[in-house]
Amino acid sequence: MQMPASHSHAGPGAAGLPGSPLAWERIEALLHRVQKPGRYVGGEFNTVHKPWDEVATRVCLAFPDLYDLGMSNFSLMVLYDILNRQPDILAHRAYLPAPDMIQEMRAAGLPLYALEDYYPVAAFDILAISTAYEQLFTNALELMDLSGIPIRREDRNESHPLVIGGGHGTFNPEPITEFFDLFVIGEAEDLILDLVDTVHQTHDLPRVEQLRLLASTPGLYVPQFYQPVYASTGELARIEPTEPSVPHEVLKRIVPVLPPTPIRQIVPNIEIVFNRAVVEIHRGCTRGCRFCQAGSITRPVRERSVEEIVDTAEAIIDATGYEELALLSLSSADYSHITDLIPQLRARFEGRHISTSLPSLRIDAFSVELAETLSEGRRSGFTFAPEAGSEELRYRINKNITTEELLQVATTVFERGWRVIKLYFMIGLPTETDADVEAIIDMTHQVRKIGNQVGARRTEVHVSVSTFIPKPHTSFQWEPLADAATIERRQSMLREGIRGRGLQLSWNPYMSSQLEALLARGDRRLNELVERAWHLGARFDAWDDWRNEDAWHRAIAELPGEGLQAQFDSPEAFLDFYLTRRRAEEETLPWDHLQSGVEKRFFLQDYRRSREGKLLVDCREQCHACGILQNYAELRTEEWACPVLV
Amino acid sequence: MSGIGLNAATDEFRLRHRITFGTSRSLAYVSVLELGRVWERTLRRAHVPLKYSQGFNPRPRMNFAAPLPVGCGSEADLLDILMEEPWSSEGIARALQDVTPADLNVVSIAPVEDSAPALSEQLVEAEYKVWLGHVKEDSLQSAIDQFTASESVSLERRGRRHRGKSYNLRPLVKKLELIRDTPSPWVGLWMRVGARPGATGRPDEVLKALNFIDNPQRCFRTRLILEVSSGTL
Repeated sequence: MQMPASHSHAGPGAAGLPGSPLAWERIEALLHRVQKPGRYVGGEFNTVHKPWDEVATRVCLAFPDLYDLGMSNFSLMVLYDILNRQPDILAHRAYLPAPDMIQEMRAAGLPLYALEDYYPVAAFDILAISTAYEQLFTNALELMDLSGIPIRREDRNESHPLVIGGGHGTFNPEPITEFFDLFVIGEAEDLILDLVDTVHQTHDLPRVEQLRLLASTPGLYVPQFYQPVYASTGELARIEPTEPSVPHEVLKRIVPVLPPTPIRQIVPNIEIVFNRAVVEIHRGCTRGCRFCQAGSITRPVRERSVEEIVDTAEAIIDATGYEELALLSLSSADYSHITDLIPQLRARFEGRHISTSLPSLRIDAFSVELAETLSEGRRSGFTFAPEAGSEELRYRINKNITTEELLQVATTVFERGWRVIKLYFMIGLPTETDADVEAIIDMTHQVRKIGNQVGARRTEVHVSVSTFIPKPHTSFQWEPLADAATIERRQSMLREGIRGRGLQLSWNPYMSSQLEALLARGDRRLNELVERAWHLGARFDAWDDWRNEDAWHRAIAELPGEGLQAQFDSPEAFLDFYLTRRRAEEETLPWDHLQSGVEKRFFLQDYRRSREGKLLVDCREQCHACGILQNYAELRTEEWACPVLV
Repeated sequence: MSGIGLNAATDEFRLRHRITFGTSRSLAYVSVLELGRVWERTLRRAHVPLKYSQGFNPRPRMNFAAPLPVGCGSEADLLDILMEEPWSSEGIARALQDVTPADLNVVSIAPVEDSAPALSEQLVEAEYKVWLGHVKEDSLQSAIDQFTASESVSLERRGRRHRGKSYNLRPLVKKLELIRDTPSPWVGLWMRVGARPGATGRPDEVLKALNFIDNPQRCFRTRLILEVSSGTL
């Protein structure tokens, strides 16, 4: 068999069978016809190449969207590192090509391949697809299909890779349960090697037997061993295991202590969205914003030491040559030792022309100071996320900041020389009225005025307004999605109110929010819909230029599958049921059997608290008994930010 | 030194050096800005102290002779780098071992006079090889003959700014020949084209003129031709 060939000279038409790599010449022949061909050629520094035949298990780590996005995915970066450290495991990467390349590959009969050595994706033992967010679902089907792998689990056999999903989207994977063999719920770092080992030990068993064994591993969810039961009114009554050996509920896996950040990060040859070194400083968030899913599913907050971060950062820069370092976290300023960390990083990189960026800052003077220390004169844009325009609504979403404080911080930012303030808001939040939207417009103008008064020449305010999506595993999971008329009216208010010199406004089309909400909140009856929409051409659902709205409209009009046919008289009734209906507190939610460790009981209390406009302080200061400490009592370590209970 | 060519002056400590390098496969599909970034990161991994420009957005002082078209590799491209402190070419070559991407090949490094003009100002002509698929040798030969026999070959100018304007490609193409020893099933084309600023011939433009725009399999620049006094020590 041919070795992974970094300089293969096989002629066109050679290979392409599982177990041997595609000839470079077949790939090369397509590249002059597509945009940004550098996405499809690999060759990046720090990629790992191992002899295919000398390992026990081969894993393809796939991100079902463009290379430009997938390359920055931190989870895949971590798993690539963990897997490739094992001498008997090989991990390669694959991304979904852009539509132009997909078309060329299909026309040429070229299957999707992993970038390291051009092995076909179908030749791997395990295909791990990131389901980081819901708009990747149709792309996951496209990725399997382009690889020549049947998209439905029931159409696959032991000759196909085991298809697993992971990432934030798996906290409700119910709309895609027919396509995946299993899902990793939570953090995979501690579990991935067990998983790969079990797959290797059981590779000669029938797939269902193999899955039965895997289903008892904590954190793994094998959907085919669960059965939904619906009430006559259409709501989910319960989800029950069909096998005695599988757990009723799958609790997410966590790592008690954060494993080291990968050092030999893959350096892309072409421009990508986040083209820089990444070092994780802490994981999780204690702020408790009620709309935020990442905040609850990444708990508990675990921190790394300053020493570890600085040493790791230097090792990464040495190993990659990157000129920029990003500190990764959900809220950088909340890292306990941030005031020690920044000067130490600066000292370590003195004179080396390395810039450091701190994403996700809070709106306070402290954050401005931090950003100022890092910016070294280059001050282009400063981003705030007030999320809501009025104080009252901010309290309801648990975003504790007054308008006065916010304007004060904006003043400081412009005074210190930043030229652009970016403001992020949501509309369609629970209890929101038109007056709250007016408040967004007012705030924008006030910030603009401050820029004129105290700022440099040509200051600008850029406002980005997304639509609130009630996400699973949040305090707002029972809330409805605002209807089209409401969102469109509020968007036109914003367009009217936010225009003129120095102002920029961007927003999401309602259809894209609707789709995101449907896929985020759906149950198993949506599998047929996702498949039908994909057949009709739906993919790249997150891309305004490529989203195929017509395919979705047609699929929804058909209400494919027995489940939807039996339940809904019309597409309108269907959309109301999944999107604009408030879910009852006692209802079984499609994701109730998958647990983030934050209890439903806590979310429910907090949902009610929101109605009363009551804030909940940062849980570093006071434990609100969300459930994390009970669920993971045995794993707790000193790195956790949870307060010690008395 | 593992195959990196060095001339007699390579142990001299100098601030400016000229790297002759090749790119293939993956690195044939990057833009000139991206290739600059690849080099910058490679040199940083090598701990080679580049000199930076002044100002708000300091950039390392590096200059290519000429951008490579996306889709085109190279056998002998040129890059001048300016250092913060004097190094020997030998030292740079040593530092680059083990930190260059697989498809970047350092051919040689030589010191250059600090005051020598920029590479792009010295560049006169460039040579390219293109492998074409789905073409017969005789049809390529007759297209070449027709092209070389023409006095003028008019093509539309590239880029939005120049929409609707045309230029004459013919005088930019100095030589155009069939290569007989190209690996089957491809057919090879060799060309020497002008490479002065504002008078640059591009291999894809030549293919367009020959009507083989959809046929390229592989393209590489084989040589850059500088004015006689190139400043190399």
